Parts: sequence; structure tokens; C-alpha cells
Amino acid sequence: MAEPVRVRLRLNGELREFSVPPGRRLLDLLREDAGLTGTKEGCGAGECGACTVLLNGRPVTSCLVLAASCDGCEVTTVEGLLAATGEPHPVQRALVEAGGVQCGFCTPGLAVTGAAIVARGVGKAPERSRLISGNLCRCTGYLTVLEALERAGGAPDGAE
Amino acid sequence: MAPSEGAPGLPRAEALPPTGHHPRPDAWGKVLGQTRYVGDLSLPGMLHAALVTSNRASARVRALELSAARSLPEVVAVLTAADVPGANSVGVIFPDQPLLAVDRVRMVGERLALVAARSREAAAAAVGAVRVELDPLPSVHDPVAALAPGAPLVHEGGNLIRTFQVVRGDVARHFRRATVVFEAEYRIGGQEHAYLEPQGCLAVPEGRQRVTVYASCQCPFYVQQAVARVLGLSLAAVRVIQTPTGGGFGGKEDYPSEPAACAALLAWHTGLPVRLVYSRETDMQLSSKRHAMVVRHRWGANGAGKLCFAEVETFMDAGAYVGLSTVVAERANVSAIGPYHVPAVRVRTHVVYTNNLFGGAFRGFGAPQVSVAGEATMDALARRLGLDPVEFRRRNVLDDRRRTTCTGTRLERPVLARQCLERAVELAATTPPVAAGRGEKVGTGVGLVLYGCNLHHGGQRLDRSSAVVILQPDGSVVVRVGLTEMGQGLLVAVQTVAAQALGVPPEAVEVCLPDTSTVADSGPTVASRGALAAGRAVLDAVRRLRRRLDPVAAELLHCPPRQVELLGGHARVRGEPERAVPIAQVAAEMAARRIEAIATGWYRSRPRRFDAASGQGGAYDFYAVACHLAQVVVDAELGLVRVARVVAVHDVGRVLHRPALEGQIHGGIVQGMGWATSERLAVREGRLENPSFTDYVIPTASDAPVVEIEAIEGAAGRGPWGSKGIGEPSLIPTPAAVRNAVCDALGIELFELPLVPPVIVAALGQRHPFAWLREQPADEGVGVR
Ligand code: FES
Ligand code: FES
Repeated sequence: MAEPVRVRLRLNGELREFSVPPGRRLLDLLREDAGLTGTKEGCGAGECGACTVLLNGRPVTSCLVLAASCDGCEVTTVEGLLAATGEPHPVQRALVEAGGVQCGFCTPGLAVTGAAIVARGVGKAPERSRLISGNLCRCTGYLTVLEALERAGGAPDGAE
Repeated sequence: MAPSEGAPGLPRAEALPPTGHHPRPDAWGKVLGQTRYVGDLSLPGMLHAALVTSNRASARVRALELSAARSLPEVVAVLTAADVPGANSVGVIFPDQPLLAVDRVRMVGERLALVAARSREAAAAAVGAVRVELDPLPSVHDPVAALAPGAPLVHEGGNLIRTFQVVRGDVARHFRRATVVFEAEYRIGGQEHAYLEPQGCLAVPEGRQRVTVYASCQCPFYVQQAVARVLGLSLAAVRVIQTPTGGGFGGKEDYPSEPAACAALLAWHTGLPVRLVYSRETDMQLSSKRHAMVVRHRWGANGAGKLCFAEVETFMDAGAYVGLSTVVAERANVSAIGPYHVPAVRVRTHVVYTNNLFGGAFRGFGAPQVSVAGEATMDALARRLGLDPVEFRRRNVLDDRRRTTCTGTRLERPVLARQCLERAVELAATTPPVAAGRGEKVGTGVGLVLYGCNLHHGGQRLDRSSAVVILQPDGSVVVRVGLTEMGQGLLVAVQTVAAQALGVPPEAVEVCLPDTSTVADSGPTVASRGALAAGRAVLDAVRRLRRRLDPVAAELLHCPPRQVELLGGHARVRGEPERAVPIAQVAAEMAARRIEAIATGWYRSRPRRFDAASGQGGAYDFYAVACHLAQVVVDAELGLVRVARVVAVHDVGRVLHRPALEGQIHGGIVQGMGWATSERLAVREGRLENPSFTDYVIPTASDAPVVEIEAIEGAAGRGPWGSKGIGEPSLIPTPAAVRNAVCDALGIELFELPLVPPVIVAALGQRHPFAWLREQPADEGVGVR
């Protein structure tokens, strides 16, 4: 058996340290070792986006990331999108209000990717669609999800 | 007659409560990542399960060598058919399917052994250590070939499971009146549900006397029955609790009983909690699919543009086990003609065993396949008559005058098929035309369907539902129902109905996911019946609760009990809104006086008669119509289809909750569009060769079309306040509309689905922009095929 690896993370703002087998996926570290089950596994192959988290601020599919490669990184999961005040992220609020949540299994990933999109300040609808297209959703047909992204901070179309 | 039968007996139209708009009660937990799906649950000592399955479609099991797997570290149990204490059977309708194969496998993915280990890794290692020796047997992979003499037999007794029919009018006589006859064979592929949450369950034993199963599922009562049968326990000893379910679409109707029985068997043997969560690949290979079908048509129309007769013969690929196939066939059979008046009809629907993946429930339940064929033939006949497809439909569509369906049912008035068609055309005309780029072609297509609401006559014994309403002493309300939320919005629909019936704000109502120990068997959450059946049961429970609530309120209000009305959070005197007390005060008074503040409710549909031999009679309780109009852009060179816009007009009876209704329509359209354009199951020798989202392509946000929705109210259904189901009608017309639009764009006829690029390029033949390439031998094999 290979030696466990030490992984230190700033996880949702908190310094955490884990000792994991070298082959462990970041997704498993989050769900099993850190107990953060908000991040979902929909495919395990980098295709569905349900496992999306922010790694140093950038969205990644955590099923394709080795935990060991994240030592010293900052990781934000859906649980960490809440502001310190407990206020939900504007994308989360917009998803609820626009009716962008159905079965909810894709939703944490959508919220995380959506937060990254809003942080970048992308305004045009086709661009928003393209950026969110790595997150599959089988329930909503995406229309309310796209509306939520627009509400959450994308400038109205044509404003740029 | 029990009060829950017949018309709901609800307020007149002007007194209807408003349509709900509030956020769904399950939205915040989901968006915050706090909702616990079954894969998020674990218990101390919990074991992880995995399955040993067949990699051949047809074989005799020569040997199953388990000792190596059993001796691996962390492996706790390896079980086979010999370890099943009850019946080794998981078929929903027919007992043709074993939980664990004994000596014969009939499909790829058939279960041979079960493993439980202390970690997922150890379970996977144990699966790898089981040595399986299979002697291949002949197999059959096409439902038409399976009926040919001498075809390999999937089960003894022949490959034809059953044939359903519709016989109406004299086809030979009406054939002679037709001036145009169109014959075709449509080959319609299957579809993977691709719910985002894979199948999963967690079984928690208490000795060998009872077990609790937490399951991602649509039908907890099916799971309960399967587990009880396999373990030899009473139904009461098996408690099934639905966990938040990440999508179903029919894929979690019958199938979850199988993994649940596996986990429960392992739990029963080990005495430990056992969790079984599928990987995506396992899920796609093992779970049920939308049925592939071969649909043969011979339809005719006369010079006046009127349909004379329609003959349909469908071969449904059931796969190796019946599952729900015969039930799906019942709907396919009576949906084959659509919302049209046809004097003579002959439909035959054959359900056929093959060694392919097994077919099961999928949103639309057999209707989408036959609707694609029916609407394609309508377009083909229109073209041959020199009529516009919409005009041809106008001349044949059922309406208030001609309202008898192919099953001999007279539809209730108003029949809105014509209105749905006309409104879709009008709405499409008000929007600017879709722009095409260079080399792209634009087309428009219509899909018009008649949907039988609730379960078909054959399943009507299951068409019932149970509810419990508890008024808490603070005026908040707990509602328990036996039907499930899987994303479609059942919780918000039930919450809306309960809140309106009790006159409280929706936030005051908590609706729980089903637990088989708290409500009676409510049948399956299928056939777009959830809001209807659960809502009606809740209304019945509220009615009974008010027998005790109203007298207390009346005393507080100093009025006779029959003058009490519940509205705006208050009990009021009817006609005197200023005389009111908060419902919370009534609830507190009931608690103080120890008055029973819990009531049960029940719903069952009206009994109907149906003659299976002729397919005539009350196939469904009532009907809805829907029309989708699709505008597509096709890149003829690449054979790529983009659906630009879909106009959806639905006869919904009454909108209970607007965002939930629209969410269903959006999702149905995009799921139907995916099936029509990109979702191809690559099945070879019964094995799925593309069991991943990389190779099985479902729509992404970039593919989402513009959707315009119009919900027409007023043709009352039998759901709460006259509502009708929307889950399935939201999907059924789309594939037909998209297929017709592609044909319109390219000026050709297509007889296959999905319309993946190779299908379009092949159908274009000489008309493909690069067809000349094929004529040059030096370039053979380059580019197009
Ligand atoms: S689980 Fe990581 S992308 Fe699907
Ligand atoms: S809400 Fe179900 S997959 Fe997106």
C-alpha cells in the first residue's frame, strides 16, 4: 500500500489537513473525509459538472482532480458559497427565485459554476450558455438556469 | 359513491384559488447543498455493495468461482441465488426475471452474484476476483427478427410476449375510398433516462425480522413489494423511505426495486447497513431504457384531405425480461393514431423478447415513439395531397363535433386539439423567423398529441393514493402523501393544494417524502398523475379534518359550522370577512380540547370498462391535448440539427403552480429534443457501447432552444381544481415536431430516430452537398458515409 499523503487546504475559508491515499480524488476527500456532501458525483468522468468546486477560485470538476495535487490550495464547495453572514450567494438566490431547481442533483455544481461566471461578470446570453454548458441538467431544460444567471449579475443583454 | 370519486366537487371557476407562484419548498436545501441524497447517507459499520454481472447477452452459466473473492480482505459477503431466502424474482408484472441468475443469462448486465465489503475499493476488487465462466448461446437483437421462425428463444415459450390491438371500423371498405395511401417503416431508437443522480439505496436491517430501505425511487411501494418477496418478509416488515431523488423520468419506476432487493439481501445476511450506489457506467448498462420500436404504417386519405383508414403494426423491443413492457405497450397501442378522426383503424402492438437491454418506463411511456411515426405519416400524406401539414391536420383533428378517439371514447367537451394547433401556429407567426447561416436550412414541424391522463385501464387497480394531514397546535400543517418528488414538483403542487384548501400560506405546510409506514400503498408516481392523485387525496383529508375543525372555529366565531370558510390564514364567517380568527388560534383550541387534528384522505379513479381484444372502451379516465411547433436549423453538410425554437401549447385544465408547470414543459421539450437529435444508444450484441455522458450526448445549456409556452385552462380534468397532468405531455410532441421540422428543412423524409448526423447524411444521398465525393473512387472512405 502506498504511503498516505498529507493535504493541507483552505477549505471554505478554514484551514484543514487530511491524510489520504495518493490516488484519492478531491471529490472523495470532500465528501468522505471532510463530510461535505453538497458536492455530488453524477458521472465520475468530468462530463456532468455535478462535482464542480472552486480550486483557487477557478471551477474544476473535482472527480478528475487528485486530492494530493491540491496541497496548499484554496477550495470552495457549495457549502462555502454562503457569505460569512450566512447570506446565500446571489446565484443561489436567483436559482431559487427563477425556478432553476428541480431534482437538485445538478444544482450545487450549477451554483458553484454560476458563482464563478458571475464573478467574471459575463453579460451576453450566448456566452453564459457556453460557460454553463459543462454542467448537465436533465430536469430544467436550462431555461430557468440561464435566467437565474442573468438575474444574478450578468448585465442585461445589449448592455455591453 | 365515495366522495373522492367522480368530479372533485370543487368551487365554481370564479371561486378557484389563485395559481401558485411561490418558490418550491425543496429549492433552498438543494441549492445550498444541504439536501441529503442516498449517496450522502452513511451509518457506522456500513458496507458497500457491488454487483457481479454477465458480459454476454445469452449464455449458460458453467461456473461461478467465489472463493477467491470471499477470501479478500474487507470483503464481508459474496452471495448468489442460493442465498435468497424468499422468491428469487423481481419482475413487476411477470415472474420472468430472477434477482440473481441461476444457470442462464439472457442479457448483458444480468446479475450473477452480490458483494458487500467495508470499502468501495474492496467491493470492486471482490467483483474482479469472481471467476465467471459462461458458455455462449445464440442470441437475438432485433424485435422483428425475434419473431421469425427459428429465431433463438430468449425464454422457453417463444419470443412474442403479447399483442395488443385496436380494431375499429372496416379497413378494407375505407381503403377503397382513399386516393392516397402511404406506407412506411419507422425505426425508432431507445433512450437513456440520464437522471443526474444514479440509482442508489441504503438497506438497514434489524436482525432478520425487518429491514428499512432508503431509496432514490419513484415508487416506494414497488420497492417494498420486491424486497418483501425476495426476503420472504411481510410487507409490514419492510419499510421504504424515499430519499430526495435526483431525477427519475420513469427510470426510477420499476428498476430501483432491483438494487434495493440486492442491498436488502446483503443487509439481511450480514446484519449490517448496506449501501449500493451505481457508477454512471453501471447505471447506463444495467438500468431500463425507453423501448426501441419498429413501427409500420399504412394510412390513407381521400381527395378532400380526410383520413380514411390507418393501419399500424408496432414491434416493441422488450429486452430479455418483461418488466413494465406490456404496460408501456398498452399506452403505445392506443396512442398510435393521435388526436385524429379516422373511420377505420387497425393497430397491432407486439411486445417481443430479445437479448437487448431491457425496456421500461420512460416519460411518455410508449407514446413518443408511436407519435413520431403518426405525425410523420400525417406530414407525408399532406405532402402527397398537396396540402400544408397544418391544413391537413385541421381537416382531421378531433374537436367538439367529431370527438370519438380510436378506442371509441367520446372525449369530454371542450376538446381543445384544434385550439392548441391554431394557437401554436399563431404564436410561431408572431416571432421573427429563425435566421440561418451559410449552408444551413431552416424548417418548421408540428407535433400534435392526445394524452390519456393517469393510468391505462390495464393499470387502473393501481390508480389510488393516500394522504395524511396533521394540523399542528401552532397552525402549521404536516402533509404526508404516498407519491414521490423526483424533481417534477410534486411537493410544491401538494403544498399549494393543501395550503389553498386550508386557507393557510404555503410556507405553513410541510410536505414529507413518502415512507411506506405512514401512508397506504398509493401506487406508482407515474403517468403524470402525481399532483392529481396526491392532491385529490389531500383534499379528501382536509375535508375530513374540517369535520372536526369547523365546529371549533364556529364556536370561536359564533356562527353555524357550515358558514365557516378558511382563507388568508383565518377561519372566517362566509360573507363577513371581518368576523375572523387566525387558524393558529383554532388549532391551539383544538389542541387544548384534545380534539383529533389528524385526518387521512383517499383517492381512486373512476372504474372503467375496456375490451382488450378490440381495444375499445375507457382506456383512460380523461384526456389532454398538446401541440408543439419546432423550428430547426440544419447544417446539411454535417447533418447537424439545432432546435432554435419550440412553441408549446398545452391543454392543462388548470394551472396549480406556474413555475412548476413551466419547468416541466421546458424539461420535457429539451429531453424530447435530445432523443430526437443526439441521444443514440449504441447497442451491439446487447451491450451498450456508449455508457457515459462523453459518448451518449444529452443536451447542454448551449443546445437549449427558445421556448414559448401557452397553457390553456378551462377544459377541466379530474385533478384538484380541474387540473390535468403535465409531466409526460410536455415531452411527447417534441420529437415528432423536431423530426418533421428537419424533414421540412431538407425536403426529404426520414424514417429513423434519433436524427444523428450519419442518419441525415445518409438520407440526403445524392442531395448531400458532398455527394459527388462518393462517386470518385480515389476518395472512397473520406468524409461522409
Ligand atoms: S462527477 Fe465530476 S464531472 Fe460528473
Ligand atoms: S435539476 Fe435535476 S438535473 Fe438539474
